[in-house]
Amino acid sequence: MQDASLADPVEGHTSKAFDGALTQLRLHAVAMGGLVIDQVSTAVRALLDADANLAQTVLAREPQVNDMERTVDREAFELIALHQPVAGDLRMATAVSRITVELERAGDESKKIARFAGRMAGGEPQGPVRAVARYLQHMAELTTGMLRDAVRALDESNSELAERVRARDSELDAEFAAALRQLLTLAMQDQRYLGVTIDTVFALKGLERIGDHAKNIAEQVVFIASGRDMRHKKN
Amino acid sequence: MESAVANEDAARNAHNSAQQTGASTPRVSIAVDDTRKVRTLNVKAAVDNLSFYYGQHRALKNLTIPIAERQVTALIGPSGCGKSTFLRCFNRMHDLQPDTRYEGSITLHPDDLNLVGPGVDPIEVRMRIGMVFQKPNPFPKSIFENVAYGLRLRGTRNRATLAEEVEKALRGSALWDEVKDRLQDSALALSGGQMQRLCIARALATTPEILLFDEPTSALDPIATAKIEELISTLRDQVTVLIVTHNMQQAARVSDYTAFMYLGELIEFDEAAKIFTNPAKKATEDYITGRYG
Repeated sequence: MQDASLADPVEGHTSKAFDGALTQLRLHAVAMGGLVIDQVSTAVRALLDADANLAQTVLAREPQVNDMERTVDREAFELIALHQPVAGDLRMATAVSRITVELERAGDESKKIARFAGRMAGGEPQGPVRAVARYLQHMAELTTGMLRDAVRALDESNSELAERVRARDSELDAEFAAALRQLLTLAMQDQRYLGVTIDTVFALKGLERIGDHAKNIAEQVVFIASGRDMRHKKN
Repeated sequence: MESAVANEDAARNAHNSAQQTGASTPRVSIAVDDTRKVRTLNVKAAVDNLSFYYGQHRALKNLTIPIAERQVTALIGPSGCGKSTFLRCFNRMHDLQPDTRYEGSITLHPDDLNLVGPGVDPIEVRMRIGMVFQKPNPFPKSIFENVAYGLRLRGTRNRATLAEEVEKALRGSALWDEVKDRLQDSALALSGGQMQRLCIARALATTPEILLFDEPTSALDPIATAKIEELISTLRDQVTVLIVTHNMQQAARVSDYTAFMYLGELIEFDEAAKIFTNPAKKATEDYITGRYG
């Protein structure tokens, strides 16, 4: 019996077709992850730079994210029907299916941020965004970093890396709370920008939600690698 | 290849607790998953340190497994791993061959009879442990006589009692409705699936305590297989079932507990749901996911 710990976790089946289907499933999920990571960072850049073109890029690519969700989910579904996976293979199929949902929702959040960026580029006052630009920038780095590591953990079936992603979510939550306090102060001082301030809160909240999605993806990677269900558990 | 038994301690506890408390059906607890849920099972037969030899060849090595009462336990593993050899220990089939030897024990509860004990009569064992084989093997007699055979052997002569018991066994094997109007027809005229259910009825007629199945559906089509699997699921209400199967999905579908064997050793024993979603041993994972070989 071979030592599969040295081998790629989705390979080594007697059936090469099964190997191929599992590898394709994982690669497509990772590719979808790559696109979503780019959507998030592009949307935040569009917001900080009030760049209409960048915002448009995000909106134009959104249907691709949705298509990929459908494709990967269908592949997972077909793999279950045609190959009847068990144990680690079954965990991979069901977890990838859940991961596509998380990625698609992260994509949706970037779409909302891009829409806001488009309005900013169209002439809405930039005061509130400027006031929390540092937080937006930092939260964007944190969320894309978490997403990148979560997707890399999936690619490498690396549950240690996935566990570290989970732990970083609290840092993001703290940053979100600090940005909110800053905006609250601003809103109390000057009520002319209340509408934009609310939009800015939504953008921050969107980034915080993307961090949650990255955490959920990381939990699914832990499930794939070890079978442990980390959902709704404290660190 | 690791050789430790996943729930070896649990299995030993079953045996020990039976001896300490004198309980008729000892209970053993096994941890089910990482939420530390524990399931307690009643032990019908405690296999303790069982080894079996064909001449000098040691085909089974120190097996320790609790066989849960009125549950289905499946034995899986590659060809030659010893699962059929293990199954055949339960009704002393090996005694028909020369130069074979048992070590250890299979303690049948509630009376603590060691099925493989040197002083135990294999005929007595076979009265209590039924077996259904891979290939349906009805006697060249009528449907009725096939089922009545074991009862007659045990001395039942009363016609009404025989008819009643035959009907009960045929109903128990989900065959009654298909054969009730032709009980005197030859059993050899039945389809393969019906013959296998007749063999199950024949085994059920003598109310065995454990029913052994050795690859019971490998000669049957998917519909007949589904009927036998459904039957096995309902049988657990009345009898303890031990089944050997090459079909992993079948083990997953019908069994409550699954034991994975390799090279005569027990590698892992656990609830079927645990084995097929998150086995503890890498060797088990490799085998059930099709990475073996």
